Amino acid sequence: MEFRNLKKWQDKLHVCIRCGYCFEHCHIFKITGWESDTPRGKLIMLYGLLSGELKPDDLLAERIFECYMCKRCDATCSAKVEVTEIFTDAKNDLLEAGFDVYGTTSRTDEDKCSRCMICVSTCIHEARSYDKENDRIVVDRVKCQSCGCCVAACPSGAAYSKEGFGLTYKEMSKQVELFLEGVAQ
Amino acid sequence: MARVDIDKLKRIVGEENVRNNPEVCYVYGSDSSVHEAFAWAVVRPETKEQVQKIVRYANSEKIPIIPRGSGSGMSGQAVPVKGGIVLDMKRMNRILEINLKDCYCRVEAGVVDDDLNRALKPYGVFYPVAPASSRVATIGGEIANNASGVRSVKYGAVRDSLLGLEVVMADGTLVKLGCCNRVEASGYQLDRLMVGSEGTLGIIVEAILKFVPIPKYRCLGVANFNKLEEAGNAIAAIMSSGAQPSLLELMDNVAITAVNKTMDMGLPDVEAILMFEADGMVKEAVDHEIEKMKKLCEEQNGFGIKYSYDAKERTKLFAGRKKLFPALSKYKELYSCTSLADDMAVPYSKMTEMARMIHDIADRNNVIMTAYGHCGSGCMHTKILMKANEKGQWEDAKRAVSEIYENVISLGGTTSAEHGIGLSKAPAFKKEKSDSLKYMKAIKRALDPNNILNPGKMMDAPDDWVKATKLRYNVK
Repeated sequence: MEFRNLKKWQDKLHVCIRCGYCFEHCHIFKITGWESDTPRGKLIMLYGLLSGELKPDDLLAERIFECYMCKRCDATCSAKVEVTEIFTDAKNDLLEAGFDVYGTTSRTDEDKCSRCMICVSTCIHEARSYDKENDRIVVDRVKCQSCGCCVAACPSGAAYSKEGFGLTYKEMSKQVELFLEGVAQ
Repeated sequence: MARVDIDKLKRIVGEENVRNNPEVCYVYGSDSSVHEAFAWAVVRPETKEQVQKIVRYANSEKIPIIPRGSGSGMSGQAVPVKGGIVLDMKRMNRILEINLKDCYCRVEAGVVDDDLNRALKPYGVFYPVAPASSRVATIGGEIANNASGVRSVKYGAVRDSLLGLEVVMADGTLVKLGCCNRVEASGYQLDRLMVGSEGTLGIIVEAILKFVPIPKYRCLGVANFNKLEEAGNAIAAIMSSGAQPSLLELMDNVAITAVNKTMDMGLPDVEAILMFEADGMVKEAVDHEIEKMKKLCEEQNGFGIKYSYDAKERTKLFAGRKKLFPALSKYKELYSCTSLADDMAVPYSKMTEMARMIHDIADRNNVIMTAYGHCGSGCMHTKILMKANEKGQWEDAKRAVSEIYENVISLGGTTSAEHGIGLSKAPAFKKEKSDSLKYMKAIKRALDPNNILNPGKMMDAPDDWVKATKLRYNVK
């Protein structure tokens, strides 16, 4: 696989001093607790892709698309690494290579969609558009920042995205219950 | 590669807490050091019983097991150099007890330093170890590396705040070491043996720590010096005067240039800046300490001396030092900031000599090096800035590191003050401790006969640190 966009970072990824200061600012890490979900972890993965030590697969691609560009890591990176710019290039490359992953980006259930275009006009990131030829709503997975506006605005319930960063409401409720039990004890 | 029974591990900690897919094993195969390797599996226990079961399994199958906090270590301690199971301890992050009457707290190994201090703050006390990485460093990792930080000059290293431990030994047995009392003379101090053992003797699962009152007053001063030697003399004068600084930091001109260049901090163009701080519950006492240190700096031609009690002003005065490490990583295009010979300690009276030697060694070996650090505790940091993508630079770095340590030893210093040995510093450590290595190896053999606990580190690490693992740079 050719990393057309990502390869320009090959000699710059080492600017990350791996201090881990991004951990506490990453929502995804706070939910999952896995270092591989942190900005530092993802940068290491991308280095692995460029060096050939890792082969791209769906799991890896899914992880990269979980980042929804809140840019808290950019703001707090002690070495000022352009983290989300690097992730954007990685997303473009992975899509070009044909990886059909969604991460936290929004999707559309075509059977439910009435093509009302409300989601298109609601999307502040200009990630949603109407594909006239195929009569469907298209989501630009690089532009989508998983804000959820389209999901909230869609009158047909057609726009959807992963709930709670990968947790279902049921799982989230269980976690809250366990937390409250812990507090009560 | 030995086969890891993933299903068995999942039965112990739950399916969601075991991963062995390549990208996860790759991420958990590196830390803040220059080294990288692949883990065979990553497991996240939540209880000490789970740790015991995992260790028992690893011991029966002779699978390496590498405990890991946040992976902020700089010497490769958490890199699975021989593969194996990486034990991510971050889920064991409960603060179990804050006992104000008996002045101790009891925490699990995965508690993050800053989180502990946030919990202690309402009670007017703090855990004072304060490594620069306190926002990610876990207590277990700090103990395993005998970490310290800017306030070690007054409050010491982890070993000075540690009262007791619970440790899972190599056969899976859970043992209590030390106790919650301030003093103990009941036999071998095995809790101390675990301090700085870097996960090679046991898996730390719980710790009993001392805390101290948060000082009511804190005053930070800054002095500039046109000659590095004068700053060095001021350090020695302060420390031998009986003054009790709570922080005493040095920045050399490379460090000053780096901060000015990348952060636009406007620090003065001098050979050295010294930062000194005093804290306490009585303002007059803090005044006394600050005046004493100010006078000693002036006697050594220190100038432009400023100091402040105000928290915001102190933050501003310290900003240059605080931002130094990241500033160094942006010092020069395509240059990497590497942690190699980066935390030696030398006697106070030798600090200037050491700093000069570091500059000479850098010039001789075609790399850029800075000298800064917690000089009040004798700790001097260097970072080697080099084109890490060029093969030849690693030979340069290797020579520079070797020369640094020859000088450290000849000056009566020690290889590591606070970052630990791991892989990068093993050759120098082995030379320094040549007369006691056989006892260390005997202890390791006795406690871990199957050599499963973080194998291949410290005395068992390769002599050539550059070839110890694949380097985490695109070396051409």
